[in-house]
Amino acid sequence: MDLAEKLEILADSAKYDVACTSSGVDRAGQHGSLGSCVAPGICHSFTPDGRCVSLLKVLYSNVCSYDCSYCVNRRSNDIRRATFTPRELAELTIGFYRRNYIEGLFLSSAVVGTPDLTMERMIEALRILREEYHFRGYIHAKAIPGADPLLVRRLGLLADRMSVNIELPSANSLQLLAPDKKKSAVLAPMRQIAVESQQSKKEMQVYRSAQPFAPAGQSTQMIVGASPETDRHIIGLTEALYKKYALKRVFYSAYLPVVEDSRLPALTTRPPLLREHRLYQADWLLRYYHFSAAELLSEAEPNFNPYLDPKCCWAIRNPQFFPVEVNTASKEDLLRVPGIGPKSAQRIVKARKMQHLGLPELKRIGVVLKRAQYFITCSGYLGARGSRAEIANALLDPKAFGVGVQQLSFDDCMPKALPDAAPELHHLTAQGMDVLQAAALLKQEAITCITRQM
Amino acid sequence: MHYPADVADVVYRYDGSMQGFLCCVFESFCRKELPSAVCSPADERLTLFPEREIPTDPARARRVWRGIERLGGSVRQRFATAFLSTDPEKELILLRYLRVAFATGKGVDRMLGDADVAAAWQLERAVNGEAHHFVEFLRFEERGGMLGAVIHPNNMILPLLRLHFCSRLPDEDFLIYDAVHEVAMLRRGNDVRYLEMTEYDSVPDEAEAQWQMMWKRFFKALTIEQRRNERCQRTHCPRRFWQDMCEMQGGCLESPVSRNKGLSRPPQFREMGGREKPEHVPALDW
Repeated sequence: MDLAEKLEILADSAKYDVACTSSGVDRAGQHGSLGSCVAPGICHSFTPDGRCVSLLKVLYSNVCSYDCSYCVNRRSNDIRRATFTPRELAELTIGFYRRNYIEGLFLSSAVVGTPDLTMERMIEALRILREEYHFRGYIHAKAIPGADPLLVRRLGLLADRMSVNIELPSANSLQLLAPDKKKSAVLAPMRQIAVESQQSKKEMQVYRSAQPFAPAGQSTQMIVGASPETDRHIIGLTEALYKKYALKRVFYSAYLPVVEDSRLPALTTRPPLLREHRLYQADWLLRYYHFSAAELLSEAEPNFNPYLDPKCCWAIRNPQFFPVEVNTASKEDLLRVPGIGPKSAQRIVKARKMQHLGLPELKRIGVVLKRAQYFITCSGYLGARGSRAEIANALLDPKAFGVGVQQLSFDDCMPKALPDAAPELHHLTAQGMDVLQAAALLKQEAITCITRQM
Repeated sequence: MHYPADVADVVYRYDGSMQGFLCCVFESFCRKELPSAVCSPADERLTLFPEREIPTDPARARRVWRGIERLGGSVRQRFATAFLSTDPEKELILLRYLRVAFATGKGVDRMLGDADVAAAWQLERAVNGEAHHFVEFLRFEERGGMLGAVIHPNNMILPLLRLHFCSRLPDEDFLIYDAVHEVAMLRRGNDVRYLEMTEYDSVPDEAEAQWQMMWKRFFKALTIEQRRNERCQRTHCPRRFWQDMCEMQGGCLESPVSRNKGLSRPPQFREMGGREKPEHVPALDW
């Protein structure tokens, strides 16, 4: 088997891993070595599914000895199998990196034999990269659950970011769908990485010779839609992970049915892309907007509204908070206004030291006035007055009603509901309704519903 | 913002260089006037107003530049970056910006609500944004141990790529060719030069074609068909960048080796400005 074919097989097996970020570490280049890192990360390409390619995302091997029912690489699945050698992988990384194709390597692996054996081979590949090729680019490595803590430590000293997938949003689902993985085997390395990363950060401030351990922190990933957990449960878990293990990111992946199994949703199920999008929006609210999980969802309303983003939802439920005066409000308060994000909040705080801000100024600064105007005052004057229906119309997320032409073949030019449109839109079109008509109808319904809530 | 100057019915014409533009700034302040347009030689707009040729005087340019430096690093940065733009209105926008800047002082970089400052800021953002896109989407190919890349940017962004790639590839020689403005940035050893260059022959040799084929296969394998969303792809990576990205060209499984039997000609380039002596022309060995 030649290298190109191996690469194809192992990239194909790795593509369901969501994390492809190269952020969190700043490292300038150095003579005698190759590569640098920039803290915000760099994407190098975008595949036709709209996801970024930042790292050479491959499995070390897809010869798995586990049999997790949701996974394409499970033992019982009939697919092509391949395994890299450490040197092949290192050469591939360097070759791609020099051509500016990638930002670094994302290395995961199926469990080859035992977790320890797998980890040892991954460590060898990374060692060659770092020590023989003097590679200073980004490396994201997956810790294999159940591996020896000493191996996790060695991996962490070579990688920039580490991750352990918790796979499913609850231990019960994990037990049911991935019987080979144990809850404790997932959480133990996560805890270890959190502790060691923290410790090395402290040591680096004191000792010159201290080595960085996963300087870009750790992340994790869970599948959404394969098990019955609510959004509220998932966001609560996310918040706990951020607080308890100081994770940098939690990734969600909409479940794609790959196998017929009575424990899983049917093969015809669409991946819940809009739900995944809402979860990411909420995740952003937790990390950058000072929201807490309890504010976003409640017992009575355990799932996100498909037609409104979580921030607009919160704004509609809390009218007493508004309007916010842009010329005096604190940054935290500004961040609660729909249409003002972290960047524009920062700019408002900066700009208002020099001048009074009115609507034209806010527009220049980059505030989305379409939504924000109903929630702000500028020097005491309300940005805009609108009827409830007008406000609801401005707040609706157009993504939920997305209709467009996606050409899979040349004779295919009819508009269709986009994959990340609301499930109801797909449902209506499946029943034979014209897609544009269905979108208009759905929008009307959504406006009526939201107006009633206000 | 109120200017202590009137808009005059005159058009400034300068030589297109940064120094020349600084002299236009000097002229505008001296005469307490804002021209209705500032034109560089590349600018082919017709004007009704009388034109005034602004001579380039290094002493005046230096004086204005010192003034800009006194306004702080961020103002200087904004001015220098925005000047790389190819927006036909950039001179006027920057002139208005400097008017506000000299009237306000250091605080001007925070006045993002002001129309003139916001216009200059937008220019800066557009240039920086495009440079960042090329940091992402530029594709090198190797020939004879040296890396080369072609880009088609709207703005003159080569100087903004310099720091990133010199830091990233500390021991590599590389050449980035801006095919729109016919300028190349050549890095050799620790030396970086900008060259005027007219032709670039990007026919990969066999080993290079192999790498490109592997990258294409990798790219294709990564796509999840059930999540196909081309609009999202185009939002993040607009079509105009695709021409120089090998993975975006169709047909990745046939071997592209056979089509480049003819040996490539070495690129033709000569030094920028033409003032350098001919022995400075780098060897054409890659």
